[in-house]
Amino acid sequence: MYGILVDVTRCQGCEKCVAACVDANKLDADRAAVDRFTARDGLSADRLTSILPVAEGRFARKSCLHCLDPACVSACLVGGLTRGDDGAVVYDPDKCIGCRYCMLACPFHVPRYEWASTVPYVKKCAFCVDRLQEGLQPACVEGCPHGALTFGERGELLELARKRLRDAPGKYLDHVWGESEFGGTAVLYISDVDLAALDWPARETEPIPHLTEPLIAQTPTIGLGVASSLLGVNWVIRRRMKLARDNDDANGRERDHEG
Amino acid sequence: MKARSPRLLKDILWILALGGLVGGLFRLWFGLGATTGLSDAVPWGLWKVLNMIAGVALSTSGFTVGLLVYVLRRERFKPLLKPAILLAFLGYGSSCLALLFDIGLPHRFWHPFVMWNHHSFLFEVFWCVMLYFTVTCLELLPSILERYRAEKVVRALHAVAFGVVVFGISLSSLHHSSLGSLFLVTPQRLHALWYSPMLPLFFILSAIGGGLMMLVLVRILHAHWYDPEPVFGPVPEGDGTVCVLDTGAAPVPRGPEGPELPALRRLADIGACVLGVYFVLKVTELLRSGDWRALGAGNWESWLFVAELAVGILLPVILLVTPSARRSPRALGVAAFCGVSGLVLNRLDVGIFGYWRDAAVPYVPSLTEWAVSLGVVAAACLAFMAIAENFSIFEDGWRRLKQGPQMYRASFDAFTHVLDAVLTNGLQRVSLIAVIALPLAWVTLYPAFHEPSHTEMDVAPPVGLDLQRATLRMDGTGAGLPVDFPHAAHQQRLGGEGSCGTCHHVSLPGDQSTPCHRCHRNMIAPTDIFDHHAHTAYVAAKEQLGGLRPANRSCAVCHDADATKTAGSSKTCLDCHREDLWRDVPPAPGVDPKLATSYQGAMHGLCIDCHAEEAARTADAGLAECGACHADLRMREPADARVASR
Repeated sequence: MYGILVDVTRCQGCEKCVAACVDANKLDADRAAVDRFTARDGLSADRLTSILPVAEGRFARKSCLHCLDPACVSACLVGGLTRGDDGAVVYDPDKCIGCRYCMLACPFHVPRYEWASTVPYVKKCAFCVDRLQEGLQPACVEGCPHGALTFGERGELLELARKRLRDAPGKYLDHVWGESEFGGTAVLYISDVDLAALDWPARETEPIPHLTEPLIAQTPTIGLGVASSLLGVNWVIRRRMKLARDNDDANGRERDHEG
Repeated sequence: MKARSPRLLKDILWILALGGLVGGLFRLWFGLGATTGLSDAVPWGLWKVLNMIAGVALSTSGFTVGLLVYVLRRERFKPLLKPAILLAFLGYGSSCLALLFDIGLPHRFWHPFVMWNHHSFLFEVFWCVMLYFTVTCLELLPSILERYRAEKVVRALHAVAFGVVVFGISLSSLHHSSLGSLFLVTPQRLHALWYSPMLPLFFILSAIGGGLMMLVLVRILHAHWYDPEPVFGPVPEGDGTVCVLDTGAAPVPRGPEGPELPALRRLADIGACVLGVYFVLKVTELLRSGDWRALGAGNWESWLFVAELAVGILLPVILLVTPSARRSPRALGVAAFCGVSGLVLNRLDVGIFGYWRDAAVPYVPSLTEWAVSLGVVAAACLAFMAIAENFSIFEDGWRRLKQGPQMYRASFDAFTHVLDAVLTNGLQRVSLIAVIALPLAWVTLYPAFHEPSHTEMDVAPPVGLDLQRATLRMDGTGAGLPVDFPHAAHQQRLGGEGSCGTCHHVSLPGDQSTPCHRCHRNMIAPTDIFDHHAHTAYVAAKEQLGGLRPANRSCAVCHDADATKTAGSSKTCLDCHREDLWRDVPPAPGVDPKLATSYQGAMHGLCIDCHAEEAARTADAGLAECGACHADLRMREPADARVASR
């Protein structure tokens, strides 16, 4: 399972990763340049990676975090988003119907929509799965000239992150973002400033699907339970009406059934 | 009271429905981005929340009245069964119609039938809504077929009716709560006043209560326009005084009362009771979670929350426990209307307003969204009226109307009426003009159609921040992330009046100070600035060509006389313009000299080299950083201040 470690202290904000991403994904560079200023978080359908200023003189790369238990995968009603064994959360344009529930569900506001198109699709970072299969690193990692991004096995990256925290005491905040937030993400961050600007939650959070999946598993139980209890109630009522009618007939007098 | 003519209402509904049609075509033709206020920050808008989520919630009476009549055998509600089914049928039908405009790829609406993700609540909602819509069709069919004397089919449908009703109730108990579960995935984004793990329970309870209120409202409105007797009572004789009150301990109404009114009142009571339970649960949950503190914030969210509970629950309950209000169909109607409004407001709160603070950009539905949204609702109302006029939905009323002096009108009479009466009726004329003119005006004036695309974006010229224009604000994209350029200070530093040429390289012929953005007119991409028309005239004058139209004889000056005249077969610009070169540096190979580089490129090119030299000379590294000019790169304000402070 792959991952990327982002070291915010090394990022210079040069946006070479963005350029590499635009290049590798064959996005419209002109639009990406405009969205740099106009889009929220600098992400758009033509800009799948962006650099955000997180504090004075501190920058951080933002893109899909590739959660270990992704909300978008759980939310998509046609299964158009899937998480592979390599950890990449990948979008399948052939299934999408354009409901945009993934955009609502993502706690990091990552999936973007091709609003300008009449046949629009969702756009998000796919961890450069094509490049991974060719044995290459993701484009953004390769494009980073300052070593702020490290690609590798997620477990090893966690070790590396802890090692950096250990080796330079006081340099970093004692936290690896992405280790446990929302059940963990494949992209990890270490930083000397707080990363709330990247939509990281302030407190401990469980995976988003844990909020819904236990509930939806109850669907057959609820449906069958309601149906059978209705049948039961109806049987009792009909039985009582019949008994009342028999009783009335026996007494030979009229009664109002409405009660 | 006498029935009012629904003609004016129908006219208004027709206009709205046609407006919706136009809006829907716009949406399909121009795409979601151009015609809606939706964005990456606000992916769900009016169509999903108002039409789908609120529309389906208002249609619960189809299953609740079915439960009362079929399962619990409450015969007194039987006259309300068919209207409830029709309401549910149209409520679900209109929701699906609106959704077809909302989803990005409407031609794939069938995908969830074959592509399953049983972890998704949206998937469950889709299946339940589709199945329940089928159920309402089956339930409605006997009333339709009755008129065509298809007795066998009707008998068969009646035989399975109980099973169908029970199936429908089970489906409803699932998807009305699941609609609330849809929002469970956004604990970080939805406002704390509305986010709760109990959303599914809140949604189904409020939908049941509000749905019953909707049925009461619809029944009273139908009586108001078509056949008042079952609800408002028989038309009074004499002076029209209807109600005489006893002055005893228990006031007893003695005026005539419509036969259906007690059932309606009881239905509203049930609805109010359910809403009361919902209210108590909601307040308890608010106290339990501690989110009630958000109410004290006094911001618009807390006011919306209070309004939703006060209008949607407290007001109907107060009206329903007031004896004088209980006796009046109008007060009952007002109570029902309040309940319905509260329900709709709640759904808008959860689906739209609750996300505003998170989205950081306000979502304002566009005209298209309003047109489609209201148009779909209007079409559903028209369909309701047409079906109720022609089939035995309101049983007695339908028969009486057929026999009575007021012969019921042909189906879709309003439409033919609109066409026929166009030239005779002022209102019709106005409405027709409106239907034609509004979309036209919209096409011509709607800013979305005139916005330049990203790649051909015009550059905004700098504005002077002070009277002397000593500091210029350069904001080429108009994105509000400007660079404030101390022009006077640079001029002074570089040598005063004689230094203009250091940066300003060329002016247009005959011009003294051509602004940069005249040629560098695209923010990002290089632009072709060659003006062929001006060149022909200028060349003709310079070469002193004769004839009637000298410009027409100027071709050969630049183009090869024998070759086809293209840009490729012409002289290069530098053959004539070498003396205009800035600093006498020829363009780099591969650069087309006819292209003015982008505004961004030009500005960067002017600043960065000098800044880098200065930084090296003065050992001030900050001069060479982006943040030296771009204040937003030092700390991007203000769009992200919210996120940072959260």
